[in-house]
Amino acid sequence: MGAKTKTKAAVRRGLRRRRALGALFAGVALGALLLGLLVLLVLIATTALQSTQLVAMRATADAGLSLSLRTLQLGPRGGGTAGFFPYVTVARVAPGSPAEALGLRRGDALLRVGEVPVERVSDVWRAIAALPSGVERASIAWVPGRRGLLGSLRAVPVPDRPGEFRVVLSKVAPGSAAERAGLQPGDVLVEAGGLPITGTQQAWQALVVAARTQGGKVPLTIEREGERLTAVLDVERRGELPFQRSLLRAYGAFLTSLNEPRYPEHAGLASAFLGSLYVILVTALVAFPLGIGAAVYLEEYARRGVLTEILQILIANLAGVPSVIYGIIGLEILARSLGLGRSILAGGITLALLVLPIMIIAAREALRTVPPSVREAAYGVGATRWQVIRHHVLPYALPGIFTGMILALSRALGEAAPLLLLGAFLYVSYVPQSLWDSFTVIPLQIFDWATKPQEGFAEVAAASIVVLLVLLLLLNGTAIWLRNRYQKRWS
Amino acid sequence: MAPTPLDTRTETEALAQRREELQGLEPAVVAPSEPPVLQTRDLSIWYGSQRALDRVTLDLPARRVTAIIGPSGCGKSTFLRALNRMNDLIPGVRTEGEVLFHGQNIYAKGVDPVEVRRRIGMVFQKPNPFPKSIYENVAFGLRINGYRDRLDERVEEALRRAALWDEVKDFLHKKSGLDLSGGQQQRLCIARALAVQPEVLLMDEPASALDPIATARIEDLIHELKEEVTIVIVTHNMQQAARVSDYTAFLYLGRLVEFGPTAQLFENPIRKQTEDYITGKFG
Repeated sequence: MGAKTKTKAAVRRGLRRRRALGALFAGVALGALLLGLLVLLVLIATTALQSTQLVAMRATADAGLSLSLRTLQLGPRGGGTAGFFPYVTVARVAPGSPAEALGLRRGDALLRVGEVPVERVSDVWRAIAALPSGVERASIAWVPGRRGLLGSLRAVPVPDRPGEFRVVLSKVAPGSAAERAGLQPGDVLVEAGGLPITGTQQAWQALVVAARTQGGKVPLTIEREGERLTAVLDVERRGELPFQRSLLRAYGAFLTSLNEPRYPEHAGLASAFLGSLYVILVTALVAFPLGIGAAVYLEEYARRGVLTEILQILIANLAGVPSVIYGIIGLEILARSLGLGRSILAGGITLALLVLPIMIIAAREALRTVPPSVREAAYGVGATRWQVIRHHVLPYALPGIFTGMILALSRALGEAAPLLLLGAFLYVSYVPQSLWDSFTVIPLQIFDWATKPQEGFAEVAAASIVVLLVLLLLLNGTAIWLRNRYQKRWS
Repeated sequence: MAPTPLDTRTETEALAQRREELQGLEPAVVAPSEPPVLQTRDLSIWYGSQRALDRVTLDLPARRVTAIIGPSGCGKSTFLRALNRMNDLIPGVRTEGEVLFHGQNIYAKGVDPVEVRRRIGMVFQKPNPFPKSIYENVAFGLRINGYRDRLDERVEEALRRAALWDEVKDFLHKKSGLDLSGGQQQRLCIARALAVQPEVLLMDEPASALDPIATARIEDLIHELKEEVTIVIVTHNMQQAARVSDYTAFLYLGRLVEFGPTAQLFENPIRKQTEDYITGKFG
């Protein structure tokens, strides 16, 4: 009696424990799934957010501006404020652009876009991005460049004080702020907005920094004939610049323009995009026939034996070889021994070697799904082995084979390491014309941009990631579509 | 009382006993009067090291239906597939002995198994139409065997011979072979086999996956076809063997036990094993 209840209790315990284990397993699995989803969402969200800056960046480029960050460094020696004062200058104005029409010139410094003070280049983009939707122009304020603002400056060494200069206005530009303030040639610039003037370029920089912190009218202390005077310089100019913000336009321009090493707002993905397409095309053309051929041989023709067994193990192992190794193979055999160089051809074949084992394995899986009854039926009416393969096995397995191939290609599309080793370029300033051209691909371009310290390249890299993701989605979508379409037809 | 588990020991013993009885027992053969189309001579087949068929010698008469019966695993499907070298497709199968087709050993060197299969057609247990249109199902065999002209005519003829034409003539190209019912699919497979004008048709339990009505149609078809084609049919169903065949061979444990006219074998079997099997004492 006692023994019996004990057994019952033991049974109950056993049942409970098994249920608990099951719940634990389900919980862990669900947790892993949720974690994966979360990571994916965060990844997509951050990338998408970073890449939205592209629209504003492209809008500045469209307006005709190339911007660069400069810094005014004030040493402690002059007394007063010391430190670094960043400001943004116009590095290039596109001819015939709205910016040129507005009067912006190379060397001008931006003060504000809308109401946002501009300290760094990203402030400009942020300000444009923050414009209410539908508003396609922004008021901008800027300080004309040195010659436009003042005229010609000359540094004159101070007697008895080596290394120190007095900045002398040698020529006043007609119609400039200096002329309007009544400055004359020969005036010595001493202080601008409380900042001591120590050099010709620094004089203008001091005016820019002072204008940003104190407003457009900057008090300028000068020395004329030994006398100290104060002139108020109206340095600020204003205007409205049109900005066209459009996601489609931005990505269109991004995809069609060439790379630009200095100004991220102009940097484009054209070389890398076409490079990726050409490389993948070569990969597909090399790997498809080889992959299908090898799979058909292994599944349909090869006799089961030691040799086949070894072949299979080798292929399975090749699928696990790190992709960098394939880069070494590509460099040593394709680029050097066969003399293909760092060409698209070499890159495509390298990636083909990389994905070949995956393709073979996928194609073999697909061939194995062909029911034996189909083969028997075909053999039964007197078909040869090739006829059976050609008319029944391959058509039946093709959707599966294609699915595997496309997934393998999408892996090749995302590979950077082997091509880096092969010697693909990080910076390509042209669109590849032939298979023998050197090239870069999207992942390499992302790598290059993401490691650049200048502002804006991270955003451009994010936009390239979006392009890459869209390409991968398209490829995978095609794979799914193909599979569904043919599955429907055949069952 | 609780049901006792199957007494495997006595089963094994019974099997061993029957195996012993078979040893050295010559097959009881009543030779058919018609001339043979296919003959097997000491045909043995191994799957790896396991012998599935043990020295079977049999004459299959022309334009008659011969049924092969026997319990599961007795080697009847193996025997059937040996008749058109379908076993070649299975890795690890070894065949010994001869299969003579019009006196010519089809396992001899230089014989093309593809040509053998064209002249000795096959219908399988599970209907296996190609995932293509009804027309293409029938036309495939014709195309690969070099028929180029009058394809439509030949397809229609094959479908008529398989008693399927009237049911499918309106959507030959539109419907896939897989859209048909099970019975229709099997008749499509028969039409596909008939299209290339084989002299012998091997049928491996052609009705086992079908309902009684579809089965009856297949059996009627076999009756009609035997006017022109020699048929060898493997069946599990003894009533079916009795209904459709002229001759019956009883295989057991890979050996031919008895072969003779169907009526005689069922009503007056020579061997005790045959009698035990057809009366349901084992199998």
